[in-house]
Amino acid sequence: MKSELELRGVQQRFHARGVEGGYITAVDDVSFTLAAEPPQVVSLVGQSGSGKSTIARNVLGLQKPTEGSVLYGGKDIFKLSRAEYDEYRRDVQPVFQDPYAIFNPFYRVDRVLWKAVKKFGLTSSRSKGLELIEESLRAVRLEPENVLGRYPHQLSGGQRQRIMLARVHMLRPSFIIADEPVSMLDAQVRKHFLDILLDFQREHGMTTLFITHDLSTVYYLGGEVMVITKGTIVERGPVSTVMHEPSHPYTQLLLDSIPQPDPDNRWSTRINVDAVEELDDSTPADAPKPEAPIL
Amino acid sequence: MSDSVLEVKGLDVTYSTNRGDVKAVRGLDLDVRRGEILGIAGESGSGKSTLAVALLRLLKPPGKVTGGSVTFYPGGRSPIDLLKVDGEELRVLRWSALSYLPQGSMSSLNPVMRVRDQFKDVILEHAPGRRGEVDTMIPRLLGEVGLEPRVASMYPHELSGGMKQRVLMAIAVALEPDLMIADEPTTALDVTIQRVILQSLGDLRRDFGVTLMVISHDMGVHAQLADRVAVMYEGRLVEVGDVRQVFKDPRDPYTRQLIESIPRVGRRAS
Repeated sequence: MKSELELRGVQQRFHARGVEGGYITAVDDVSFTLAAEPPQVVSLVGQSGSGKSTIARNVLGLQKPTEGSVLYGGKDIFKLSRAEYDEYRRDVQPVFQDPYAIFNPFYRVDRVLWKAVKKFGLTSSRSKGLELIEESLRAVRLEPENVLGRYPHQLSGGQRQRIMLARVHMLRPSFIIADEPVSMLDAQVRKHFLDILLDFQREHGMTTLFITHDLSTVYYLGGEVMVITKGTIVERGPVSTVMHEPSHPYTQLLLDSIPQPDPDNRWSTRINVDAVEELDDSTPADAPKPEAPIL
Repeated sequence: MSDSVLEVKGLDVTYSTNRGDVKAVRGLDLDVRRGEILGIAGESGSGKSTLAVALLRLLKPPGKVTGGSVTFYPGGRSPIDLLKVDGEELRVLRWSALSYLPQGSMSSLNPVMRVRDQFKDVILEHAPGRRGEVDTMIPRLLGEVGLEPRVASMYPHELSGGMKQRVLMAIAVALEPDLMIADEPTTALDVTIQRVILQSLGDLRRDFGVTLMVISHDMGVHAQLADRVAVMYEGRLVEVGDVRQVFKDPRDPYTRQLIESIPRVGRRAS
């Protein structure tokens, strides 16, 4: 079944002490649609505290928005029937940031994969299950004999993150919600991971929502990009357009802050520290909006 | 002869593993000139961080310096062989003449001490003679990295990542060291905060005359900040030169590859 994931006017408030009104607004009136067909990569880029992870939690059904709705195949995900909910949980798969926190250190990594086989009834027999697991591990360029039977601490961060991708590969969801999946990996391993996501898009028709603060990974992935700041999406469009002709001052600030690898092209102006600090994670999303930083 | 702060000659650092020895730094020669910002570039595993901890004498087993010499020339004092100095003499050098901004410095502040007390800790420990000045020093140092005086009475958990990084930078220059080694000072920070940090590092050199050795895998950081760049590959120094020469006319094929492989993101700043 091919469907659509849609956020319609999503707002997420959190109670907070010592803030005017007693709450902060982490996500404010966010709407977008992820189509399964044609498969695509959509990046959501913004800095710490911009609300991007909250959106991931909303899309995954881990957090019910205070207003607006998350629709899967046209239906509110918080009002699905049991069978529909199971379908949604299989069809929309997460990949999280921390490749260490996902695994229970007391179990071998095989367990994560076997759980998926059993929970979703992927195969009827153990031997077919093992076949499936090995096939998926190879699809993410892991050798089954090097990882099966091992404990999480015996694998590198990149290997652990790829095991999560192998799990996704077994389930063949329409959607992957990847929340900062590469921010704890170093450059080479990072490229590896991104290539696998692109493979999944091309070969298995999976659509990815890729959440990151890093513009160079957005650039590498291509596709569409949405820029979020203070809980609001301020710009969206194809990566090539947004990166080359940014229209919103915040996008411009982000792009101008990338250190250009050219000593003849150094920053000639100073960045306004206070304006940046206002955007930083210490500031609640609904704090008074600062003037655009002077560049 | 130019005025050097640090002279490294034929430095070898080896890690012993159960599969044999691994040489992380091989026969490295390097001069750090007084007042300059020297960038150390290279990919993961090229030996950049090992070099830093070896120079700071923070190398832990199984790492071991297996050859070479490191001479440190603190201003107004006699040269010191950094690989031989020990105990009390080394402790006195740290912070006052040689300071370090570690990678992942977010976790380097003591979570149960106010920022002010962390400054006092360093200043009183390493320069007890300056006790009387401490209260005027702290706001001045915080101001230098663009932080308000009220930050002094805050706890680390009240600060953002970029603010913590700047507090550490202020502590690192508090005693006007001759040399400060910053290991990946911008990694893991948002891009706008990265720019603030680079700007502050430039300010510290301008205002304190501190010599900076900045280790980063990000060639953009070197292009924006460094006077000279040293490129490491598999533990060796493949090229050292003026930042313009290294970027515009790299002599070593590896440096050329490194520069060509940088993704050019977005429009060019004008």
